[in-house]
Order: sequence, then C-alpha cells, then structure tokens
Amino acid sequence: MKKYVDVYKQCMYSAIQTASAYRMNFIVSSLITLIGNILFPLVTLLIYRAGTSFPGWSLYEVLLIQSIFTMSSGLSSLVFGGLLWTTMSHVREGSFEVILLRPLNPLFYIVATTFSVESVGLFLGGAALFIFSAMHIGAISALAWLQFAGMFLAGTAVLAGLSLMMAAMSFKWVGNSRISELADSVLHVGKYPLPIFPKAVQAAATLIIPVGMVGYLPASALLGRVQAGDFIAILPCFVFLWAGIWVYRHMIRLYEGVGG
Amino acid sequence: MNRLRHNWLICRAVAEVTYKEWSAYRTHSLVSVIVGPVYFMVQYFIWTAVYGGQTTLGGLDLQQMIRYFGATALIGYLIMDFADWNLSMLVRTGKFLTFHLRPVDHRSFALFQKLGHRMLGFLFEFLPCLLIFIFVFGIDMRPASLPWTLVSVLLAFLMNFYVNYTIGLTSFWLVQSGGIRSAFLLVSGIFSGALIPLDFFPHWLQVTQLFLPFQYIAYMPAMVFTGHYSLGGLELSLPEAVGMQAAAVLVMFGCNELVRRRAMKQFTAVGA
Repeated sequence: MKKYVDVYKQCMYSAIQTASAYRMNFIVSSLITLIGNILFPLVTLLIYRAGTSFPGWSLYEVLLIQSIFTMSSGLSSLVFGGLLWTTMSHVREGSFEVILLRPLNPLFYIVATTFSVESVGLFLGGAALFIFSAMHIGAISALAWLQFAGMFLAGTAVLAGLSLMMAAMSFKWVGNSRISELADSVLHVGKYPLPIFPKAVQAAATLIIPVGMVGYLPASALLGRVQAGDFIAILPCFVFLWAGIWVYRHMIRLYEGVGG
Repeated sequence: MNRLRHNWLICRAVAEVTYKEWSAYRTHSLVSVIVGPVYFMVQYFIWTAVYGGQTTLGGLDLQQMIRYFGATALIGYLIMDFADWNLSMLVRTGKFLTFHLRPVDHRSFALFQKLGHRMLGFLFEFLPCLLIFIFVFGIDMRPASLPWTLVSVLLAFLMNFYVNYTIGLTSFWLVQSGGIRSAFLLVSGIFSGALIPLDFFPHWLQVTQLFLPFQYIAYMPAMVFTGHYSLGGLELSLPEAVGMQAAAVLVMFGCNELVRRRAMKQFTAVGA
C-alpha cells in the first residue's frame, strides 16, 4: 500500500513540474477553464432574467446544483481526467503492453500518471460559484452538510465510473475521439433539477446511470429537500464505480497488442 | 471556362477522397445519433418546464423554441468544421510545406475537404437525427421557406469555415494556437445562439452580435428556418436576413484573405 501511495505522490509531483515547465499554457488553459465555468450557468441566468424559472426552484438553488456539478467534475477530472485519452492513445498505437509490463496494477499506473493539474481551475471555478450560491440560500444545518458530503462523494464516484467505462470502451472502439461526448450528453441531465424530467428519466438518472447524484441530490441535501428514500441512490453510485473498474480491468484482459 | 472546369474537378476529387477516407470512421459520425437526441431531449424538457404557463419567451412560443433547438442541432451537423485544428497541426509539424507544391491553395483544399466530410455528416448524422426528431420527438421540422433556409445554411457553412480558418492562421505566428482555439470555441458556443436564442441576451449584447460573426453561424440560419428573424430591435424579412448574412460572409472572407496573405509571408517552412 505504501508503495502505491509513494508512486501516486511522485506522479502528482511530476504533473505539477510538467505544468510549471509550460507555465503560459497552464495559465491560459486554467483561465479558459475558469471563465468557461463562470459562463456555464449563463443559460440559467438568462432564463431567470427573462422573468421565468424552473418551477419550484429559485435562481440560486439552480446555481447551487450547477456549482456542485462543476466541483464534482473538477475533482473527478483531477484524478481521472486523462484516463480516456491516454488509454485511447495506447490502444491505437499498440503500446499498451508497455504498461502491462510495469510492476504495478495497470489501472492504478494509468490513473496515477494522468493526474490532471489543470482541472484545479475547474474545481476552483465550481467552488467560487458554490460559495456564491450557498450564501444566498439561507442557513444550512450541520446534518445537511453531512448529507451533502456523503452525496457529493457518491456523485464523484459516478463521474469516476463514467470515465472508466468510456476509457474501457476505447479498447474496442479504437481511436474514436468522440467517445467522451457520449458521457457528456448523459451528464447534461445532471445539471438541472431532476423533477423537470419525466419519471422514467428521473428513475434512470437515479438508479441506472445515477447522474442525479452529481448535482441535484447533493444540492437537495443542502436545501433540506431530501427524502429518506433518496439515500438509497447512494448505493448505485458506488456500484457504478465498481462496474467501471470491473469493465476496465476486463477490457485489459481482452487487449490484443500489435507488437508495441 | 477551362479553369472553372479544372477547379471543379479538383473540388470533386478532394471531396470524394475525403468522403472515402472518413467513411472508414463512419461510426464516429454515428455517435451523433445518440448524443444529438440526448442533448435535444434535455433542451426539450428544460424549455417545457421553463415555459410553464407562459405563451412566449424572447419572442418565441414553445413550439418555435423546440423547432429552434432542433434546427440548431441539425444545422450544426451540416456546417461542423475543424479547419483551425487541421491548419494548426500542419503548421506545427511543418507539413504545410507540401501544400506549396500542390496545384491548389490550402484554403480551397480545406474547403473541399470540408465538403466531403460534411457529405458524410449529412448521411450519418443529419438524416438519422432528422428522422429521430420527426418520428420520435414528433417535431415539425419543415422549414418556413426551404430555399431561403438552404441558402442561409450554405452561408453559415462558409462563415464557419472562414472564421475557423482565420483562427487556424494564427498558428503561423503562435505555432501552438490551442489556447486561442479554446477561447474562440467558448465565445462562439455562447454567442452563436446554440445554447440559447440570442433574444434572451441584454439589448446591448444583441446589438453587438450584429457586428460579430457568431450569430451568422447558428442563430441566423435557425431563425431563417423558423421563418422569423429579429435581433437587437432589428426585424428583417427572410430575404433581408439572408442578404445581411451574405454581406457578413463577404466581410469575413475579406478579413480571412488579409490574414492569409500576411500569414504566407510569415511561413518559414519548419520541417522542410
């Protein structure tokens, strides 16, 4: 275990060193990510500015959902952000064997070596919006914070699971750079209050691909709107992460190298 | 006449080759058959909820709004372009040099490539998604005026290409234009009207959009499709709107030509 912690620490250090070698690129990328996040809730702002709303949700409550979604994406992207592209590149070039030869778990090795420092901008942008919207929704009880923490963690697990499944898909769908769009489109549901969708979509977004846990349910916890039944949705999130790990490892076993 | 025929033959050959080349990756295009309807479905429910009891928002009723998003999605498949990325890659790797030896300039080559690539997009993205929108979502996807919509989409196709190509030309100075490209994609995504109709923006920002290229890429063709164009207090009939779009494309072409000539002087053939 200590070996894995040391390797991960070393990889994080390398990623930071690399980022500082290309400082301007790092600063520009982080700034664009940050600005992109500030503009992300623009649609919501414009909708409310036009004098209408998502029924039953105030502007700051919707912004809270979207900020939590962004923070969760930032956190997941920091750890799993480079997984898809690195896997895809190795599979396309037939160089995955090099990873299999390392004296480490291959999944752990790829995750550790693709630590994405630039995703800090994504997390910070979300955090800034979170503080801003949380300040406008009134007092939040300690219990609500606790419920939020548990659900936020579960939501991040969903994103990690999705990253793993997309990366696993690249073993079979070789070189398809649009795989990530599949995940992005599904995640789009998680950026808005779930009750605006039909019951079937709500059920799928809570139990099958639990994207509702990425923004909506943690925000509901902070707003004191969760029901006891909502906590059941935490379980599928971790099942989803486990499924992602299982599928990825299974696809490694199916990998057929071309000589490296 | 011979020159025209010669150019047509080059255009056809490049477009055909690109079509065949990308046909090998047609499943890439098929991703849109899942992604497009999912995005559309989300927009559908967002706007159905937002309209609630209201009859119009931003000058559009709910049906027009749904048709607007359907149109922007479908037009996106017809005009999609990555000439900026391609040009940037050619400059960075030095492969741009080979285009100085070819009997066609790179801009025309890239435009013909885009034609071939989008023909594939028409078959594997546009048509399946159109059928899904009509038969699954039950959306009326008949344009208010087919001829004006076709002209407007063609102009949007050219505008998107010239804008992207100009962004790509910055690589001649910056070598790595990834930052500018990302920034442009961000701004374009918001101000083209693909996320939300521009009528929702503050008045001053709507007026500003009249002088920027973004609205001519998605908002204007989508509004021509719905049969009603207005922005920043300016109401135009369909022929007037398309005329304004044509003028904007000409201006953009002029800007692109200017930057291209300067860029060619800047080119140092790295990798030769």
